[in-house]
Amino acid sequence: MGCTKQRQGWLRLVALSAFAALALTIAPAGAQTRGGTVKFGVGEDIAGFDPITVGAYGAATASAAALLFNTLTRLDDQGKPAPELALSWTASPDFKTWTFKLRPDVKFQDGSPFNAQAVAFNFQRMRNPDNHCRCAAYLTAIDTVEAADDLTVVYHLNAPQPNWAALIAPKTVTTVIHSPKAIEEMKEGYNRHPVGTGGFRLKSWQSGDQIVLERNPDYWNKDHVYLDEVSVRPLPDAQARYASLQSGESDVVWDDNADDIADARKNANFAVREYAGSGAVVYVFNMRQPPFDDVRVRQAMRMAMDMPAFADAVASGVSKAAKDPYGPGSFVQCKDTGLLPYDVAKAKALLADYGKPVDFKLIVTATPRGRTYGQIFQEFWSAVGAKVSIDQIDQSTLGARVFSHNFQVAPWGIIDSADPDPQMYANFHTGSPVNLAGYSNPDVDRLLEDARNSGDLEKRSDDYCEIARILNKDVPWFWALEIHSFAIAKAHLEGIPQQRSGVIDLTTAWWDKK
Amino acid sequence: MATLDAALDREVPVAAAERRRPGLGALFWLAVAWIAIVLLLALAADLLPLASPFKLTLDARRASPSAQHLFGTDALGRDILSRLIHGARISLAVGFTAPLLGTVVGTVLGVLAGYFRGRFETLAIAATDVLLAFPPLVLALAIIAYLGASVVNLIIVLGILTIPAVTRVARATTLSLREREFVIAARALGASHARILRREILPNVLVPLGAFFLLLAAVTIIAEGILSYLGLGVPPPAPSWGSMIAEGRDSLAVAPHVAFIPAAAMFLTVISINLIGDTLRASIDPRRSAL
Amino acid sequence: MLGFVGRRLLYLIPVVLAVTVLTFFIASLLPGDLAVTMLGDQATPEAVAALHKKLGLDLPLWQQYLHWLGGALSGDFGTSQRTGETVLHAIAGRLPVSLELMVIAELGGLLIGVPLAILCAVRAGSELDRVASAAAFGTLSVPPFLLAILLIFLFAVQLNWLPATGYVPLSEDILGNLRAMALPGLTLALLEWPAIMRILRSDMISTLQENYIAMAKAKGLSQRRILLVHALKPSSLTLVTIVGLNIGRLIGGALLVETIFALPGVGRLLVEAIFLRDFIILQGGVVLVAIGFVVVNFAVDLLYAALDPRIRHGHA
Repeated sequence: MGCTKQRQGWLRLVALSAFAALALTIAPAGAQTRGGTVKFGVGEDIAGFDPITVGAYGAATASAAALLFNTLTRLDDQGKPAPELALSWTASPDFKTWTFKLRPDVKFQDGSPFNAQAVAFNFQRMRNPDNHCRCAAYLTAIDTVEAADDLTVVYHLNAPQPNWAALIAPKTVTTVIHSPKAIEEMKEGYNRHPVGTGGFRLKSWQSGDQIVLERNPDYWNKDHVYLDEVSVRPLPDAQARYASLQSGESDVVWDDNADDIADARKNANFAVREYAGSGAVVYVFNMRQPPFDDVRVRQAMRMAMDMPAFADAVASGVSKAAKDPYGPGSFVQCKDTGLLPYDVAKAKALLADYGKPVDFKLIVTATPRGRTYGQIFQEFWSAVGAKVSIDQIDQSTLGARVFSHNFQVAPWGIIDSADPDPQMYANFHTGSPVNLAGYSNPDVDRLLEDARNSGDLEKRSDDYCEIARILNKDVPWFWALEIHSFAIAKAHLEGIPQQRSGVIDLTTAWWDKK
Repeated sequence: MATLDAALDREVPVAAAERRRPGLGALFWLAVAWIAIVLLLALAADLLPLASPFKLTLDARRASPSAQHLFGTDALGRDILSRLIHGARISLAVGFTAPLLGTVVGTVLGVLAGYFRGRFETLAIAATDVLLAFPPLVLALAIIAYLGASVVNLIIVLGILTIPAVTRVARATTLSLREREFVIAARALGASHARILRREILPNVLVPLGAFFLLLAAVTIIAEGILSYLGLGVPPPAPSWGSMIAEGRDSLAVAPHVAFIPAAAMFLTVISINLIGDTLRASIDPRRSAL
Repeated sequence: MLGFVGRRLLYLIPVVLAVTVLTFFIASLLPGDLAVTMLGDQATPEAVAALHKKLGLDLPLWQQYLHWLGGALSGDFGTSQRTGETVLHAIAGRLPVSLELMVIAELGGLLIGVPLAILCAVRAGSELDRVASAAAFGTLSVPPFLLAILLIFLFAVQLNWLPATGYVPLSEDILGNLRAMALPGLTLALLEWPAIMRILRSDMISTLQENYIAMAKAKGLSQRRILLVHALKPSSLTLVTIVGLNIGRLIGGALLVETIFALPGVGRLLVEAIFLRDFIILQGGVVLVAIGFVVVNFAVDLLYAALDPRIRHGHA
């Protein structure tokens, strides 16, 4: 009698266990699992996070900053602004005054409170001329930032900007919010001891090697942070970086090499995340001096280029030839922008019409990519009779050369951004200090101002398309490649949003244990 | 520094085995043949029926060797054979001119230091010690990064880096030569310093230095390759073996021949130079034990 | 002996000073104004002038040098304008990595080079000897970066035995550290063994012909004892010299390997300083590396002099 009861008990236990086991195995796959670490391989060294010291964030620094810091807004999957440190916002009818209501009860990683005064402090510190911040150039749109009360920040802009909330969403040197307390206490030391409000805080930073970030237990959004630790390691050699993914030392790497991407796409262990951004890789003609003061020469040079062949050669299908400055990631999508076709005969005819010999220098940055592009362009242009020599310069001096107008043709970029206005206005409006080409066209000026003052996306889009048509005819600049950002990761690493502006944000990443 | 000098100065008896070596060996002549071929091709590059080394064929990139392109094409569709031969000119020009510069300067410094001794010698040795203390690649990188990469700058910088080593060898050789009978005899006969230097010392110094020069050339060709790998070699679109390897490494997984063909050319050339230099050194003066 | 040490020191101090002067001089010649670099797009003439004054760049060069020297003598080699780190901190953090790499490289070079040298010395002129010499030249004729990439391709990507990049501190995980240093160490060891092997071989060939070796043979001592005790010992002096010089050279010289394998060493710091225009790190770093080289050479000199009386008495 006793034995049977015992056996019954056993059976029940076994049945329950079996049922439990079964239940677990048929649990929904892909549920966020907590825990684990991610080793992130980036392409450049990270100098630091203090805007005053570093002046600008490269893609690597920005990706690390995404883990440490927050901005007032973020971009959702459709590219529209969504709350982050700000809960809501309103704009004045002329789009020059923007009021943000901040999220309450948010603390920096050092315990000090996040409030409107902190936001104002960050801005004023960067704007302060005594600090000589190289980042100040990116703040020209803002007149002042004031803290109306503890949880209300007001931006007074110098010009109308209908999309301001989206423009301050990307994690860049001027948008992330640093702890005023930490800055005041550490002064120059703050650069390597960042303190933000983000999902991860600094655990250790081995100089020149890896930055280890650990989960911030007091994060205001901690339910959506799953990883325990992220280590960010600069791996400058592109091949070694991809090799580190293949051999397991990295879980995710920043990579834009076409061969690696093709290889990873064929490999079931890896997932390639592609983001088609707005903007483009571009080149600027200096219209202030011959030969590019003449539109025929500019048009001829553009028509001498077989851009799709170029794109195929350098990107092997991973990025396409750009047809306008807006790109696939922009809300501006134009049907026909009148892009000049590849026509060697016409190009030669234009140069013959011009009559004088065409002899100039092409600036390239001293990088493998810069050299490759330069050599291809040189060949294209030589084929129509121009004499082109390559002037290879250090990347860090490109800005100085271009801003001082000491160039004839130079590489530049229109970076991925939520709104084309800031860059298009700065680049092409008459009299703009960064109108690198020295271009002036009253029709373009009018269209730029119209687009700036309107909140109607469709109308703005039409304006920008018309601008593109005019620019394609005048060719003060030419667009070479679309901007595509890539991240290659292990296949079961999930929760990585789109790489807007080339930033790989691992804050909400998690490991799919399946 | 004292230790390296002592190592070079030591008179060691002739190795019996090396004395017995019959002639210069088949490998030596193979090496000579290769260098001769490369030099000939480099000099005759413009006369040969080669495709242009600059012409791009964007639709035939990284092509394997074929009838049309004997060594295939590189990442931008340029003919590799043509670039290889034109590249030989630059790699060899830099590889031989830079150490030539260093040898000329270093020989003068070293011979004078070793012959006259005294304060000039101390100063010369101190100068080479100072230059040797600098990490050489860092120095080259810094100077080229800031002054700009050009063939001339490369030759000057790489040449300067070879001066200390040449000075050392020249001085050490001179030191032992000046005690030899023929020099002492010349002095006794009242020959002037200049005459002794010109007729007794210099010819005997140039011979071991010649072998050393070849070894320096081998190292310089590789150094150009390293600088190109780091992006500071010969500027585009001029081909050099170093820049071809650097450009080809992106294609290693897909089209390895783009990097391996120039690498093989560099390898064969450098090893040939090394072999010739070492064989000459061993046959002329087997007492020298340093590499 | 003390006299010798004293004389060497007296000689070395001006050498070190000359290195600092030369570094300063070269750095000042290079184009690029530090103030302009720091200010970037903010480089208005007024801002540049103000920063010049603040950094002391408006003083004559010799005064700037003395100022720098004064700082250096008290341990302040400057602070990077790019990262805010002090030069000493930056170098000190990376020195253990470079040192470990050097030790592994030299040990590896010795492990390959010494046995080969002994074998070749004993069988001088034989087939083995010629093949080994050819292999030595062959290894030296491969560009180092290609060697590194091939090793990564073979051992990390294809075989997956070793990691391709990265560094694990010794204090954290000994096995991980050794695995991470294996490929870079091997690359450097492959570049070191030919010189070690060739020089030791020549040395031993001549030693083996000495009379006392013949006597030892006549006395009936075993081949191994003769080789290791009587033949190798005199050559150990040369070996010490070579290894010492190599280590000194490698302090800043392993930069290619450090860059490719992403090791946070001194060489890589200097390369990055060049490309990122971090003049202060570059200047201070080059001086410290040069001093390191001089110090190592000095130590080798001392060792040599202690072992070989001829040197002490100014024979050379």
